[in-house]
Amino acid sequence: MFHTDFAVSFKNVTKTFTQWQRDNTGKGLIKNLIKPEKLTITALDDVTFTIRKGEFVAYAGPNGAGKSTTMKLLSGMLLPDSGNISVLSMSPQKQRTKLMQRLGILFGNRTELWWDHPIIQSFEWKKVVWGIPDEMYRRNLEMVTELLDIGKLLKTFARELSLGQRMKADLAMMLLHSPEVILLDEPTLGLDVVAKRQMIDFLKKINKENGVTIIVTSHDMDDLEEMAERILMISGGKIAFDGSFDDLRSITGNLTRVAVTMEHGFSPQIDNGRLLSSDNGVFEYDIDLAKTPVTVLLNQLSQVNGVRDVEIKKAPIEQVIAGLYKAWDSCDTASHMAQSIS
Amino acid sequence: MEVRKKLKRIISLFGIAAKMDLAWLLRDTKFALAAIASDMISNISVISSVYLIAIRFGGIGGMSVDEVMFMMAYSTIVTGLFIMFGSGNNIHISRIIGRGQLEHLFMQPNSLKLQLITCGFVPFTGNGNLLTGCVLLLISINRLQLKVTPWWIALLIVNLVATMVIIVARAYIVSSAAFYAPVAAEEISTTAIDGTWQLSTFPLSGMPAFIQIPLLTILPEGLMAWFPSLCLLGRPPLNLTEFYPLAYALILALTASFIFRKGLNYYVTKGSNRYVPYGFRR
Repeated sequence: MFHTDFAVSFKNVTKTFTQWQRDNTGKGLIKNLIKPEKLTITALDDVTFTIRKGEFVAYAGPNGAGKSTTMKLLSGMLLPDSGNISVLSMSPQKQRTKLMQRLGILFGNRTELWWDHPIIQSFEWKKVVWGIPDEMYRRNLEMVTELLDIGKLLKTFARELSLGQRMKADLAMMLLHSPEVILLDEPTLGLDVVAKRQMIDFLKKINKENGVTIIVTSHDMDDLEEMAERILMISGGKIAFDGSFDDLRSITGNLTRVAVTMEHGFSPQIDNGRLLSSDNGVFEYDIDLAKTPVTVLLNQLSQVNGVRDVEIKKAPIEQVIAGLYKAWDSCDTASHMAQSIS
Repeated sequence: MEVRKKLKRIISLFGIAAKMDLAWLLRDTKFALAAIASDMISNISVISSVYLIAIRFGGIGGMSVDEVMFMMAYSTIVTGLFIMFGSGNNIHISRIIGRGQLEHLFMQPNSLKLQLITCGFVPFTGNGNLLTGCVLLLISINRLQLKVTPWWIALLIVNLVATMVIIVARAYIVSSAAFYAPVAAEEISTTAIDGTWQLSTFPLSGMPAFIQIPLLTILPEGLMAWFPSLCLLGRPPLNLTEFYPLAYALILALTASFIFRKGLNYYVTKGSNRYVPYGFRR
């Protein structure tokens, strides 16, 4: 029995994949014929989490961490090895067709639009395939056309759209059947700043005003923090962190990357900043904004001669996760030492 | 009530597929007509070669020229049905599986079966061969002075359905290989069907039994046009019943269902690391 307040419930879910291993030596080829070597990859290892209705959750992790696998499990495209999955109190594996009436899925690198037809034709196709009532279709079409500003695109062929326009059209199409839960897999992939901004604002709006539960994956921490209130971090098939972004910062610090472009090609000194790379006068630093606030940082840089540009962005997920593990290691060491002393 | 609802759903799905097809025909008329014409020319040239041999030798293996024409008409109708109902790679399903595109189907709130039956329907751009076949059928019926009774029409429909089931079942059996080897087997369905298609238009009458029997069992090319045509002409070959194609279709369909389900189970258990957008959502 699943809790009805939960939009998503993942209970002790494990999913493994098998990879064939081959080498290019003659011996390897013969060995492959007789006894092929297999490697078992644990994409999800006894993962448990729940997401309440109306939450906006970031599902983050480095490449190959198991993000897309989770999305596919939630939408019934894959079966788990073990554990229970429930979306809107339904089993994605057993009640897929029923669930799809209430679930919206968008993979950033795929399109559901008909390539050789105008966008409005794809929308009408969706209306029939999903059996969307006329009134709901009309209302949702009006809403997405206005909020995503796609009025001018409706008569354009999908193949003639830019990536940003295509993503907007795909997002609009996904919302036509009023899904209660939305799964977005890397929706901002390849989008420019303006398109990204529009998409993020739109998602926040439908989450807040319509109470739509949104689960979004990305490996861009800036985008995720911009969108979601809660972050689920996955690493090596396990949940590495589940909480708010503030809680995450309290553990890992405010890990940030600062790129400073210099006119004269010499590296500026930044307190608490660790120089990571320098390329054509662009110097990239690792800095913890919890220790050096952004006002202090900008003040320091304003006093350096020859600064042409400064870009501040969140540290990549890999570094945040490394920070988490480091924090846990030091906790373990501290508790171990405390135990030894007592 | 439930049956009525389901029927309504099937009709609406066929309807939207037809609407999309008509929209494409009216929008890109020149290209659509070129595609229709090339389909027809390709099929007519295949059957013409057999028909010309029949004219040159006054028939083939005991079949008269008009009977050969009747068989060519049947074959053209089958090609027409294949194109009309299978233009979304739903028959050449190894392409969908091999390219990792099944996941698009999983997103829809309809059963896979229903989607696959309805998604390749192109009644406007895909009707060329069906119409040509019907015209050829009428001409050959007239020349052969065949008695067209309701029973004969029913038998024609049953045979056409059986032939289509055999084509689809065979495609699904070989396509199941794409679940396990997506790259290598992506085009296996095309190879299996198109590769032997020309053989299916050749009259097997007069051939020795050791050629006829394998072509009615292991490689069922004889069931694509030759056997059903002779059944409709009132003389089923090899002393077999006229319902042999139907029985064969049933067994093959059950086998295909078992093998495909097994493959599908493998797919949802192991997943597919491959995704190619090519050819999807035309």
